[in-house]
Amino acid sequence: MITLATPAADTQALAGLSAAQTALEIKKLDLYYADKQALYDVSMKIPKGKVTAFIGPSGCGKSTLLRCINRMNDLVDSCRVEGSIELQGINIYDKSVDVASLRRRIGMVFQSPNPFPKSIYENVVYGLRLQGIKDRRTLDEAAENSLRAAALWNEVKDRLHDNAFGLSGGQQQRLVIARAIAIGPEVLLLDEPTSSLDPISTLTIEELISELKQKFTVAIVTHNMQQAARVSDQTAFMYMGKLIEYSDTNTLFTTPLQKQTEDYITGRYG
Amino acid sequence: MHGDLSNTLQADKKRVIKDKLVKYSISSGGALVLLTLLLIFAYLLYVVSPIFAPATIESKKEFTYQSSAEVLALGLDEQNDITYQITDDGKLLFYSLRDIDLGELLLAETISSNHSVFAKTSASAGAYLFADAQGRVKIFQPKFSTSYPDDVRLITPEINYPFGSDWMQIDVHKQKIISAAFELAEESAAAAVVTADGRGIYYLLTAEENMFNDELVWEKQAVALPSLPHRVDQMLLSPDLNNLFVRSGNNLLVYDVADIKNIRVKSALTINARDADVTDMQLLTGASSLMVANDNGVISQWFEVLQDNKRTFTFIRDFKAPGNVSAITPEYFRKGFLTTDSLGYLSLFHTTGDARLLTTKLSDSSAMQIAVSPRADALLIADNSSLRLLALDNEHPEITWSALWQKVWYEGYPEPQYVWQSTSASDDFEAKMSLIPISFGTIKAAFYAMLFAVPIAVSAAVYTAYFMSPAIRSYIKPTVEIMEALPTVILGFLAGLWLAPLVENHLPGIILLLISLPLSVLAAAFICTVLPKPVKDSLPDGYHPLILIPVLLLAGYLSMHCSGSLELWLFDGDTRMYLTNELGIDFDQRNSLVVGIAMGFAVIPTIFSIAEDAVFSVPKSLTMGSLALGATPWQTLIKVVILTASPGIFSAVMMGAGRAVGETMIVLMATGNTPIMDWNIFEGMRTLSANIAVEMPESEVGSSHYRILFLAAFVLFIFTFFFNTAAEFVRQRLREKYSRL
Repeated sequence: MITLATPAADTQALAGLSAAQTALEIKKLDLYYADKQALYDVSMKIPKGKVTAFIGPSGCGKSTLLRCINRMNDLVDSCRVEGSIELQGINIYDKSVDVASLRRRIGMVFQSPNPFPKSIYENVVYGLRLQGIKDRRTLDEAAENSLRAAALWNEVKDRLHDNAFGLSGGQQQRLVIARAIAIGPEVLLLDEPTSSLDPISTLTIEELISELKQKFTVAIVTHNMQQAARVSDQTAFMYMGKLIEYSDTNTLFTTPLQKQTEDYITGRYG
Repeated sequence: MHGDLSNTLQADKKRVIKDKLVKYSISSGGALVLLTLLLIFAYLLYVVSPIFAPATIESKKEFTYQSSAEVLALGLDEQNDITYQITDDGKLLFYSLRDIDLGELLLAETISSNHSVFAKTSASAGAYLFADAQGRVKIFQPKFSTSYPDDVRLITPEINYPFGSDWMQIDVHKQKIISAAFELAEESAAAAVVTADGRGIYYLLTAEENMFNDELVWEKQAVALPSLPHRVDQMLLSPDLNNLFVRSGNNLLVYDVADIKNIRVKSALTINARDADVTDMQLLTGASSLMVANDNGVISQWFEVLQDNKRTFTFIRDFKAPGNVSAITPEYFRKGFLTTDSLGYLSLFHTTGDARLLTTKLSDSSAMQIAVSPRADALLIADNSSLRLLALDNEHPEITWSALWQKVWYEGYPEPQYVWQSTSASDDFEAKMSLIPISFGTIKAAFYAMLFAVPIAVSAAVYTAYFMSPAIRSYIKPTVEIMEALPTVILGFLAGLWLAPLVENHLPGIILLLISLPLSVLAAAFICTVLPKPVKDSLPDGYHPLILIPVLLLAGYLSMHCSGSLELWLFDGDTRMYLTNELGIDFDQRNSLVVGIAMGFAVIPTIFSIAEDAVFSVPKSLTMGSLALGATPWQTLIKVVILTASPGIFSAVMMGAGRAVGETMIVLMATGNTPIMDWNIFEGMRTLSANIAVEMPESEVGSSHYRILFLAAFVLFIFTFFFNTAAEFVRQRLREKYSRL
């Protein structure tokens, strides 16, 4: 385990992370839906090659924050963002940034599995086809690699050209993960990826997340504190649009510095 | 406790009753809908089915009489109450066919005691001629007069001599007449005779009204027939007194006798079938078709066809009877005929239907005379001693599968064609009831309407559902849907009275409009992207499409404004003339372009509404998923949204097509209703639905025409049924493939 600049009591958690160790840096982020403010002055660094979990009660802004990272909030007409998120030193909200290219580098997996109405194979290579890759061999290779990485290959290798809807919910979610990693992103955002799955599929996905951090930076939003404790390296606790506490997972769950954090993890609310 | 339990039980009972009530009322509602549909189907079939019923014949009455002479001709009145026969001993005998006095001799008269030749006119004229050895003829006509003494119908037989009861001298040389043909027209009559010394005489009687006492005076003219063959087997005169057919063995001479001063041989041809000899020939009603019977049972049809600007008698089709055909008997008013043959078979044919409708064995010998009743519902068969009346059920001989769906060579047409022309002013008109032209018209109208509507409706639906801001969408969608409630008669009215002349007068402008509107939209979109940001931001978010309104109005105005000068510049000032003369494209004012636009407007709301719902209901998670993978909105639209919505879009298009096929008022008012078969966008068409609407009021209930219209309705039903079934099938397949489970 990397020694982090702990204990970090303030919201500038893990501030001591060097630029090389940082995948993303969020700086003074405010977010408004029309006149209503949803995020207040969030600043944090997300370390490279680690799993960062976001926990907090419903409506605390953790999913909103995650969506800011690959600018999915752009789709909401009334949404306005102030502050910056830097990916390798470049502000992703800069005018010169092409949203589509940004999302290629920061992939996202949603709450419920959303495979396209296409074959398993076509789902996986969808992102590559968008980039105009037509070479059969490249596509085949990428499909196999990402399905292996998503621990799905053995289950589907004989029916790659069957409709993706034939898969079970857990398989579909892993397919969606495979689809996201096929285009080789740097960061993978998981928005409550197991909330619609059964316990066994959840376990598979959790094991998968631990595998994934070897190649990608993972940010995961979850309702399930045990899950956060199991899969993440550091955890951020959010409440009412504010980042309350952000530190090493062990620290946060065993010796939280803030009273709100302690109340939440001991189950007083949420 | 006990009370509680019974209470629960009671409540349960109420629920069970409610459940059952709802269950039965809903199922009975559903069943009623199905039943109604089946009843419509059954009623259509019930009206249509008689046209495919086979002809039947059934013996009804029979009586015997004392006579040794051979029967030359037979006939009966319209009510099938009285029959007459002309015998070889020169007598005309009327017998009763009524049940009360069956076989009673009502009237007998000796017309001639010494004749050499007998001839008759076409069945509808019903006159007969005896010629004798002194070159004289006598013409007579059995008649029936109907009176109603004591309100009971009474039919009295009479004998009428149109040219007097005395013999008329035709041959001044008083030679024996050995062959004769004769025909009676409205105010003229003619006879052609051949004398024993081999001369042919054409004798024309023309009626002239006496100016003082209104009496008819017959002017008589006789001329010699040129180039007559040595042997004359049969002569026929057409009822319009234009053609004289002279058969000598297997050769036929056709004389043009329209002008008595210039009688000439029009054509000479050989008319026998292969390896057979001609036994008889007869003209069908209407006098266009000549039926030629052969001794091998083949009956061939000939009529004049225009070829290389010349009318020539052409072999059209043939029919087959079982034995050596001895006589042909044409029907009174229809293009049907009967044959009797050496094996004693009676066969019934129809030329338009190109079919043998019936064959039945009547007797072992061929020595019999047959006659059809004027209404073609009864048949008389006579031999030397007995007479039989048979009921004939043959209501719709002209309607056969081939007459409906295949090319038919109609009388006077240069080649077999698909034609719809159900009625005309004349009685002996050959009804042309091919369903192909009107089915084609239906498809053509629907095709052009869809060509106009589908691109507009589908792209509008996709735009509204996927790109448009919710605020504008909430106005646009209901507005377009209200358009659907617009009565189509108004659209048809506008199309026929406003759009059609507009298109005709500004054709270049309309064509220009089709090009300039999309181009101006693209241009406006491009200009929008390069506008500086402050200008762009001055318009509230999502209201960008409103910019297009002035742009489109301007483009439309300019296109129409340029129409005149464009016409002058490119088309010599008259596009219509230019199209017809230079490009050889016919232009009707009521054409497919007008129908396409008008009916397109009627279908757009249907397609738009369903397609918009389909696109809008594509789960947001799919769009998000695609966008999160780095797809642009456009890529997401093409690769995910339209794909997922495709079953819905497809069924929207099919619903639109179903509506276009069944649409009546617009096509009725804007197509010109010309049943032609041509894909030309500048010509009109007639559709199944419009055809029913136009012709149903004028068709006689129970007639072939009436039943055909019901058949057209049935075909329309099948059309929509087919469209909907195919659509549903494809939709299910697509849904399995693309839709989320």
